[in-house]
Amino acid sequence: MKRTLLFPSIALLTAGLVCFFLSASAASHRGAIVFCEAGQIHTLDPQHMTWMQDIRVGLGLWEGLAQYNPSTLEPMPGIARKWIISPDGKTYTFFLRPNARWSNGDPVTAANFIFSWRHMLQPSTAGGYIAMYFHIAGARAYFYSLVSHARHHLLFSSVGVKAVGRHELVVQLTRPCGYFLSLMAFPPFFPLDARSMKPFLVHTGGFLHYNARWTRPPNLVTDGPYRLADWRFHQYLLLKPNPYYYDRRAVRCRRLLVENYPDAQSAFLAYQSGTLNVLSFIPGNFAPTLLKLQSAGKRHDVHYRPVFGTWFMDINCLRKPLNDPRVRIALDRAVDKKAIVEDVLRLPEKPVNVLIPPDSITGYHSPVGLSYNPRRARQLLAEAGFPGGRGLRRLKLLIVGGGQTTEARIAQAVARMWQKKLGVRTRIVQEESKIFHEDTVNHNFDLDISGWYGDYRDPTTWLNLFRASNPNNHTGLNSPEFEELMRRASHTVDPQARLNVLARAEKLLVCKLMPAIPLYQASDGYMYNRNKIAGIRPNVQLITLFKYIHWRRRPLSGGYRP
Amino acid sequence: MKVFILRRLLQSLVVIFLVYSVTFWLLMATPGDPFLGHKLPPAAILAALKARYGLNDPVHAWLAYAWRIIAHGDLGPTISYENWTVLDVIRSTFPVSIALGSLSLLIALWLGVAAGLAGAIFRGQWPDLATTVFSLLGISLPTFVIGSALLMLLSVDLMVFPSGGWGTFSQLFLPAITLAIPYLAYIARLTRGSVLDTLSADFIRTARAKGVGRTAVLTNHLLPNASIPVLTFLGPATAGILTGSFVVEKLFAIPGLGQVFVNACLDKDIPLVLGTVLVYTTLLVLLNLAVDILCAVADPRIRLQ
Repeated sequence: MKRTLLFPSIALLTAGLVCFFLSASAASHRGAIVFCEAGQIHTLDPQHMTWMQDIRVGLGLWEGLAQYNPSTLEPMPGIARKWIISPDGKTYTFFLRPNARWSNGDPVTAANFIFSWRHMLQPSTAGGYIAMYFHIAGARAYFYSLVSHARHHLLFSSVGVKAVGRHELVVQLTRPCGYFLSLMAFPPFFPLDARSMKPFLVHTGGFLHYNARWTRPPNLVTDGPYRLADWRFHQYLLLKPNPYYYDRRAVRCRRLLVENYPDAQSAFLAYQSGTLNVLSFIPGNFAPTLLKLQSAGKRHDVHYRPVFGTWFMDINCLRKPLNDPRVRIALDRAVDKKAIVEDVLRLPEKPVNVLIPPDSITGYHSPVGLSYNPRRARQLLAEAGFPGGRGLRRLKLLIVGGGQTTEARIAQAVARMWQKKLGVRTRIVQEESKIFHEDTVNHNFDLDISGWYGDYRDPTTWLNLFRASNPNNHTGLNSPEFEELMRRASHTVDPQARLNVLARAEKLLVCKLMPAIPLYQASDGYMYNRNKIAGIRPNVQLITLFKYIHWRRRPLSGGYRP
Repeated sequence: MKVFILRRLLQSLVVIFLVYSVTFWLLMATPGDPFLGHKLPPAAILAALKARYGLNDPVHAWLAYAWRIIAHGDLGPTISYENWTVLDVIRSTFPVSIALGSLSLLIALWLGVAAGLAGAIFRGQWPDLATTVFSLLGISLPTFVIGSALLMLLSVDLMVFPSGGWGTFSQLFLPAITLAIPYLAYIARLTRGSVLDTLSADFIRTARAKGVGRTAVLTNHLLPNASIPVLTFLGPATAGILTGSFVVEKLFAIPGLGQVFVNACLDKDIPLVLGTVLVYTTLLVLLNLAVDILCAVADPRIRLQ
């Protein structure tokens, strides 16, 4: 016994201790603000960022030609100290700051932008937001020439981007784009430092690309408020101020730890015990209780607000009987959205009858959608040849995930409403996310529950979803009338007139075509103690700019309790 | 003995290769596309991504991955964490799982054997009853219940231990206990049964009759024989504790391989699943070998086979 049990014990103890010290970091992070993200960091390559948590870190590490105003998210001068837009709205001339520097001290020049944009336009880079680049004259043709004929492709000089000297960048657009400056503050358009990336250039399978290790410390060179001091896989990212940043004095946080807890409940417990200082989400299970406590004045750290996203139900317009707009509208008018929000979600979300969150885009007046009207719905269904739901097959309602998720509860409520008001029967199918996405892309469903969060502050981020050419158009809608309005809008130079055309396009969608049943505007928020932490602005996209976050020296006055 | 070890090692290589191939074909056969997400890029970008990971042709990919492993020892890039290669991910997370797993197993082993012994020696008295009740609870309650209860009590209410994360010994305590409890309970039951069996054996009676003292009977005659089932259980227990730490890792926000593995399967991250499966298989095969050798050392009867 002595020997037989002692040997494994010693082996276990040694293995345990050695591995523990190997995996634990010795550094102490006292004094750091610990910011908890809702999900794992997927990438730190700005051209591949599509997830919110990646984008948030990207905005802390880099800066584009423009940067966001922390409250309104309007673009303001960033690496470019000013810009001139030609009267036809198609030529942008950016003047770069002479004192803008990378985190290794090198100056940021127009060539860095040219390198980055050219890199993004290579198909092998596989940048998810490539379509945003097609506003630039010649970019689409260049990209697709690379895709199709590898040998006789167009030259990069055919793309409308030119550097004039070291600090001037001229960009030609195919047509005026009201939100082009906002895009300049968005990660896929950030500059890249070719020199620091060069050692990571690799050639595999006929493609030239960069070994993704270029983004890991100490290799990563960035031009934003912070530099990446440390990155431990699934543990944390440590951000420290970039000493060469031109606006260094604005960065008041000396250490920022970005962490992620895989379980929202554990994250909330860690927040309660003080391990985490900011939660970039409201933990779902606790949200109704937390909001109740907040409105009763017992908590003050729940910062919840409507955001730039909506939840809706896609309808597959390619399949019978849903290819008849009357059936689609009947389904919409039989859904009591108010009841879904109040009884199913039990959260202060706003029910909507439109697709684009109302009042979230300056100058855009949302149309009035169709209201809840089961009587009219029954009429429409009868007109389409299905009185009382007779003759209608069972509809497949696809939802993502497993178990009693929010989507599942909504699906059950909607299915009950349709059964009761219209006599329409549904079959709810839950699928794992990868399979769900495959089925929606291949139009293998009748209805699904889906959400969309806008990428940039313009109605097209939603309306493009329903264009025939968009791969994200799960509904299969192909309406000449809608396409015509979208085309007209893209050729309208006057910003307000353009928005009005887009509003007509949305009205067409929600009142006549009904490719998707709007449900409610998404809300989300942060949890943090305003007495201790400052610099988080509640903007509609919930983009926190790490640049402004810092410990508050003195508590707020006015009886504010944590 | 040498021939025995050599033969087992060769068998292990075959097992590892088979597991790798079966995993690959299963991954290819499951529905879902790793590159499809909520926001879909243009078709040209999807094609470029597939080409980068060499996933356009399954047979080609299978050979390419196999070759990569044999020739370079490099497991390739991951799909879901593109800045980290499979090897990077395993290198960062596997030590965490091993550290947590081995310390939990150590706790389970010593406390389990002690509890089992107490139960057997004081058979029918209160220590026996206590061990039985505790074992029953430990085996029946799922780890997320035990973990959540410990978390609420010791971390949120009493604030004795931190609620999660990795890096200090105090952060290790709660997850290690949570992970250990079911194994501890099982080892306690196993030890108790085995000790009771051995107690009624002839050689114990002979030893007593010879006038050997109580302690000497216990340490020289009883335990070496009674510990063999516990030792045999250590192999599968290590396997279970290393691969089954997913729930505990999630609950206590521990950056271990268990979570990575489960998420990789859900994301259909083919290179990462393959890499993780390879590591787990190798480890299990080697552990079973180690336990076999250990048993052969402990029990001469096994050596004869």
